[in-house]
Amino acid sequence: MTWWDALVRAGAVPAAYVPPASMGRTDADDGAEPGADLVEGDAVAVHAVALAPPPPASFLDGIEHWKVVGYDGVLPVVRAYVAAAVRRRGPDRRLRTAFEASREFAIAPLAGLAPERRRALEEHCPDVVDISIEEGTQPGRVLELARRAVDSARQALERQLAERALARLGETEWLVVDGLLSVSGKLAGHPRALGVIKSHGAQFFSGADLERALTVPADTRTSVFRARGGHARNEVYSWYLRLWPWEGNDLLYGLLRIEARADEATIANAGATSGWLLAERAPIATPDMRWDRLLYPIHDVETYLKARAPRDLSASRTSRLPRTGTCSRVQIPSPSAASWRPS
Amino acid sequence: MLARPDPVAIGRVVATELKPSTPHQFHFWTANETSIGIGAIVRVGEGVGRGDVGSGRVVYGVVTDGFAYSDLATPLHDVIGAEGDPARAAESPTVRQEIRYWTAAVLRQIPEEPLQPVPLGQVFVASDTDVAQALRMDAYLHSATPTAIPIGLYTSGGLEAPVYLDADFLLGPEAAHLNISGVSGLATKTSAVEFLLASIFRHFPAHKGKVAAVCFNVKGPDLCFLDQPGELSDEDRRRYDLLDVPAAPFERVHYFAPLKADGVNLNTLRTHPELVDDVTPLTWGLQEVVDFAEVLLNRDDIDAKADAFIDYLRDRVLGRSFDDGFGGAHHVTTFADLERFFRSVFDGLETSGRSDTWRTHHIATMRKVRNRLLNISTRCKGLVTDDGPASDLPWGSFDDRAVYVIDVANVDPLGQDLVFARAVSKLREHLERRDLGVDAVVVFVDELNKYAPGDGPETYVKKMLLDISERGRYLGLVLFSAEQFRSQVHRRVVGNAGTQVFGRMDMDELATPGYQVLSPATKIKLATLPVGELMVRHPHFTQPIFVRFPKPPVLRGRDGMGRFPAAVDLPFEDAVARQLVHMDRRIRPNQVKDLIADRTEEDVRRALAAVRQKRPEDVLAHFRKMLGGRVASDAPRERQVVPPLNPISDEPY
Repeated sequence: MTWWDALVRAGAVPAAYVPPASMGRTDADDGAEPGADLVEGDAVAVHAVALAPPPPASFLDGIEHWKVVGYDGVLPVVRAYVAAAVRRRGPDRRLRTAFEASREFAIAPLAGLAPERRRALEEHCPDVVDISIEEGTQPGRVLELARRAVDSARQALERQLAERALARLGETEWLVVDGLLSVSGKLAGHPRALGVIKSHGAQFFSGADLERALTVPADTRTSVFRARGGHARNEVYSWYLRLWPWEGNDLLYGLLRIEARADEATIANAGATSGWLLAERAPIATPDMRWDRLLYPIHDVETYLKARAPRDLSASRTSRLPRTGTCSRVQIPSPSAASWRPS
Repeated sequence: MLARPDPVAIGRVVATELKPSTPHQFHFWTANETSIGIGAIVRVGEGVGRGDVGSGRVVYGVVTDGFAYSDLATPLHDVIGAEGDPARAAESPTVRQEIRYWTAAVLRQIPEEPLQPVPLGQVFVASDTDVAQALRMDAYLHSATPTAIPIGLYTSGGLEAPVYLDADFLLGPEAAHLNISGVSGLATKTSAVEFLLASIFRHFPAHKGKVAAVCFNVKGPDLCFLDQPGELSDEDRRRYDLLDVPAAPFERVHYFAPLKADGVNLNTLRTHPELVDDVTPLTWGLQEVVDFAEVLLNRDDIDAKADAFIDYLRDRVLGRSFDDGFGGAHHVTTFADLERFFRSVFDGLETSGRSDTWRTHHIATMRKVRNRLLNISTRCKGLVTDDGPASDLPWGSFDDRAVYVIDVANVDPLGQDLVFARAVSKLREHLERRDLGVDAVVVFVDELNKYAPGDGPETYVKKMLLDISERGRYLGLVLFSAEQFRSQVHRRVVGNAGTQVFGRMDMDELATPGYQVLSPATKIKLATLPVGELMVRHPHFTQPIFVRFPKPPVLRGRDGMGRFPAAVDLPFEDAVARQLVHMDRRIRPNQVKDLIADRTEEDVRRALAAVRQKRPEDVLAHFRKMLGGRVASDAPRERQVVPPLNPISDEPY
């Protein structure tokens, strides 16, 4: 018996709600007001980037899936799954998993649950994350707290895996992380670790610098700057890199922000690093909608993790019952039709 | 006993709503680098991984199709990624995720009942034991009375497992006949049959009795050197060892060939002095031919009246003492006797002036039949003799494990039809009476497109082939047939073949409806099959299986012609002398030449045929006796003018 079955037996109302925000991760910088200190030149400048062959590299990404599996009154109980993996690219240009970890757990406002439901949850689920709420908290707010808990768990897993990967990184090998580098001190301080950020919720510039940064042409990068605020808990250097022309699309189309160690060497090597990151735009990461900013190896890690995630946590676009009549090779009668008998 | 290491799974069954597993088909994926391919036999075993359900069911399948694809959504995305430069596409830092996805047809499920969809288990490469199980060979391979005949080796993934046919289904009585299709010129069809005959001779079960083969050589020197060793590689010899078939030419091969029009030189390519002595002339007289007159007379020739007259001749005249009613007594056994009989009857009718009918048969009908019958000896000169005894196959004393090659490659189509029709009829007669000397005979006929086409007139030969196909298995008369285009052979001939073998096929042929059951991948494999590889369908195999067979241990026709080139025809006297010397080494050629000087060739041929048939102690003496004394020829008598039977009257009314 699963823990959510036990919860239902204890009186919770079963639910199967997959919130729209549950299938991915958010890179929106929702911390302190971000800012930037230029460390390369006096103003944001545009630098041409020459394609360069990538060095040996490993790629890290994580996923998070969660859904509401029951309600105690109006308080949701969430089942969550987070996973992360590092896939190393070999000489044959194929990616193979080097490290991976996952965690499946429950999230619930334990203090608000009825005693029998709380007991059922704690007895049957070995990993419960408590979220503290005040009395009368709206269910939507609880869900937001749950999302943050899942996010946090995923980041912790990624950080843990990244640090394991760094310890085993080859002499010339790089670790490319999907997302912020600054969340980990070890990552932020490593000379061959890069953070690749696809979302641009936090803006580090304003005025003409902002315009120059966000309209940087394809195959070019901006000057390197020190990122402040946002998620940046550790000092990192950063720059924008445009993979594909944005004209005719959108301002942020093909735009990446790169994070690397706050070091002079990063400034010196920003062009070369951008060169091989530019080479990573092929093969393109379709059919992912974010293919213009999603490096294929990161897409590959994500696909790998999704393939191994529990199926019942995925948001199914359609019923998992066979679609009678839509498949030319099998015709499965509907249960209702099979059981119907004329009286 | 050494413990066998646990096999390593090479794939895993996957099923989706659109491509589910069924009781007859399943899909699985493998690593990109895998040893399996189209035609590979795999075993789906009980799962041992996490989440696998141990049903205990084992499924064997053969790979019928393969797919490879990547996560590329559309080809255009590859163009975009490479910015239109194919060279850059190859240089991308990461290779896209790919899949090797295979479709397999179920060969066997254990347990057989209840028949269920293939479970989602692990996939293993088949072992020797698995191959035997998958092809249901265990039933006839390990029974108390094994009936397994090796046809080749299943080779896939480094495995070499012998594949066996069931003699009960290859040579009767359960099913029988083998048909082999393939494009010409790859030495596959004939080679396969040669190997299979060697395999049958080695493995034909003792409890089924004796077996022999009659092979019609219909083109070139294909089957002319079955008793001569061919060159085999060490690899071929190793395969022979694996299949337990001797890598040696056939021990007992008997060659038969008609004579050429001169009546003394053999009409075959096996005329090299070292080999020609083994060739027995095949000559038939009236008695042998008349029962097959229908073969030689086309439909326009035969009407009810002619047919009735031929029956009359058969029943009342041939081989009997017969009075023609004009004072002539006849004993018709040869074409010469028949000619004398006709002349006597026509002369009698003319001189008596009685009527234009004789014994209810109109003279015109009689003349027509006479012309057609007597023309046979002209049209098939060398095979059919005007006079003299016949030289034939040893009906009633066939040897066990012997091959009888009848070389009709250089005989005109009419003669080929006659040889085929008569040989098969005699085989059937003797097998029905169980007095052939063997219990089963394999008849090998190539060029079925010519002899049993799907369309065209109903010929006697086609009827004979249909008859063997449909009823031969009860008698032990088994047809091994070969052709280039199976789709153009009579459906009942190929349809009755229990075992069907395919060599490399033409794509146009594969596009015909008969091959719709094969997957596109199997068709491509068939269209590119290397020499020595075949696809086999057999009643025990639920799916076609690809096998590899070793090069036959006999000299191939072309190689044989290089090693034993055909001798040029000898002058008449020399040819006669050679034949007599072959029968008795003491004879000197000059003795023969002196004897036959001033003799007509007809007399010499007749005497030679008589000697050949009798095989006397003193060959030369018997030859001399058969020639008879020299008789001076008479001057032709002046013939009286005979008035017409129905003079045209001047009477106007």
